[in-house]
Amino acid sequence: MAAEAKLSHTAAMILQAISAGYVYGFSIMEVTGLPSGTVYPAMRRLERDDLIRSQWERQSIADAEQRPPRKYYKLTTAGRSTLDASRKRYPLLERLMPTEEARSL
Amino acid sequence: MKSPSDVAFSAIQRTALHTASLLVPAAEREDWSSEWLSELWHVRSSYVRIDETISIQSQGEITWFCLGSFSDALCVRELSVKSGHRSPHMHGSAAQSLLWLSAILLLCFLITSLLPGLRAEREAAQFVINPNALLISEAAGHSSKPSIPAGLYLNWKYTRQRYFQDLAFYHVTRETAQSGSARVTWKVARSSTNLFSLLGVPLKYAFDDNSGLPSIILSHEVWMRSFAGNPNVTGKVLRIAHGNARIAGVAPAAAWRLPGAPDIWLLQADTQIATDLPFRTPGYLIAQLSPRGQDAMLRDDNGISARNLEDLLIDLSATPINAPVEGLWNLYGFALFLALVALPAVSSVSLGETHLTPHRASSRESIRRFFFLGCKFVLIAGIGLFASCDIAYCYTSSFSPAAECLQLISCFAICLIGFRWALADQRHRCPVCLRRVTNPASVGLASRTFLGWNGTEMICMGGHTLLHVPSLPTSWFSDQRWLYLDSSWQFLFADSSVG
Repeated sequence: MAAEAKLSHTAAMILQAISAGYVYGFSIMEVTGLPSGTVYPAMRRLERDDLIRSQWERQSIADAEQRPPRKYYKLTTAGRSTLDASRKRYPLLERLMPTEEARSL
Repeated sequence: MKSPSDVAFSAIQRTALHTASLLVPAAEREDWSSEWLSELWHVRSSYVRIDETISIQSQGEITWFCLGSFSDALCVRELSVKSGHRSPHMHGSAAQSLLWLSAILLLCFLITSLLPGLRAEREAAQFVINPNALLISEAAGHSSKPSIPAGLYLNWKYTRQRYFQDLAFYHVTRETAQSGSARVTWKVARSSTNLFSLLGVPLKYAFDDNSGLPSIILSHEVWMRSFAGNPNVTGKVLRIAHGNARIAGVAPAAAWRLPGAPDIWLLQADTQIATDLPFRTPGYLIAQLSPRGQDAMLRDDNGISARNLEDLLIDLSATPINAPVEGLWNLYGFALFLALVALPAVSSVSLGETHLTPHRASSRESIRRFFFLGCKFVLIAGIGLFASCDIAYCYTSSFSPAAECLQLISCFAICLIGFRWALADQRHRCPVCLRRVTNPASVGLASRTFLGWNGTEMICMGGHTLLHVPSLPTSWFSDQRWLYLDSSWQFLFADSSVG
């Protein structure tokens, strides 16, 4: 997808949340305040458009913590470019959820 | 230890996820379910209190979270369809075929359950009028026309009779009825109060009235047409002709069989009948015969004699009131039987098996094939039952012989066409994986029939079989043949694992 592609505010919020380090569906729900019926379908569409990529956590990590493995999401290069474009379109986005880099400063 | 509410909520949440997973294409279902179950575990963990329980409010929020899975499942399905990826396991498979038939069956059943006419039909079939109650008419006249004068009825009723144990009478006239501002003209039967008890007809929504007003019994048709089947209509006061009367009940659907086809019955005491109706007004007489009367009827071929008002002996004929109602199941059984009998006339019942092939199907394969065929027949038979009821009763809200006739014809047609399709479909299904063979290719030339084979070849997408269907059956190639493909073909098929 082109870097200039316009995302909906919901999709941009989800991208921003993933960029901010909230990489699981439920944590994205918590930080954005969006319901599960919105977050998960939006993530499917973002993944279809190659803006995010999902990956299963290693079983050994989950076993060590005695919990089921989780599927986590991370931004692709195209996703980062699109997020940058979206931040210009939605200037308040970054203030809602500061990225990890911003938080570390 | 988990509380019962925890267990119940957990079961509801997991059931919601499993149900939603059915919407996800099979190829992606496992991954999708794993993600949601994992997320559910984490969601539940985040709500657990110190005493290791979850509050009811939190359980509600978790359940709400699970319900979001339906939206996600639909999204995954939509994306899968848009990407052109259709599950090869489902496309043209036996499961898909059975699912379609089940969906049609369910739809027909749902429509059937909403039709009021069908309830009336069932009621009519269950309803039995007192078999000893007979319609008495003058032998010279026609039983469907009123022939017994009101005065004669009163005379017979209040004098000792040899042949009659009990008598009821009614006379039908057109009267204007008024309820509020609405005015309608109905066929009103002024009848004796014992009419329904003599017929043995149980009234619906019977209302005990102590106000002294005359009682009205509505026919099922009027109740449906003018009162929209409202069960609270009983007790309401209507103005009939020049007096008020109270609705005391609704006659069951079968009551239409009384001659004169009254819309409502105005029940009146015999003294009132004597006042309202001139002595010679003809009406219908319903009688319960005494044992002596029954003997006389048997002896004299449904005819007895009695004295009229002039003390002359007149011949009377007695007609049973109960018209035969076939009933839903009897009609269905008959239509199904006819369809099965007619099936060989419209389609070959052979499944296109040939004994020329060296391949012998395993018993498991054979059982699976015949089980699939049996399931199709059962589902089609079910569709025939409900769809024919839908067709017959979609326009009528009450029992009618025309609807019964329509049900019989449509059920026969649906079952016959359906069974024919089931056999034709079965002939084009791979004996190994039961999927429909596809990609038809025309082979040979019809003009060279005597030189070589010509017809259509179709292939199983699982790579199990090739089907040859001759375009012109000959003595050496009269029926379709299956060619079983060996494992050397498997690399050509992406979906060869199926089966």
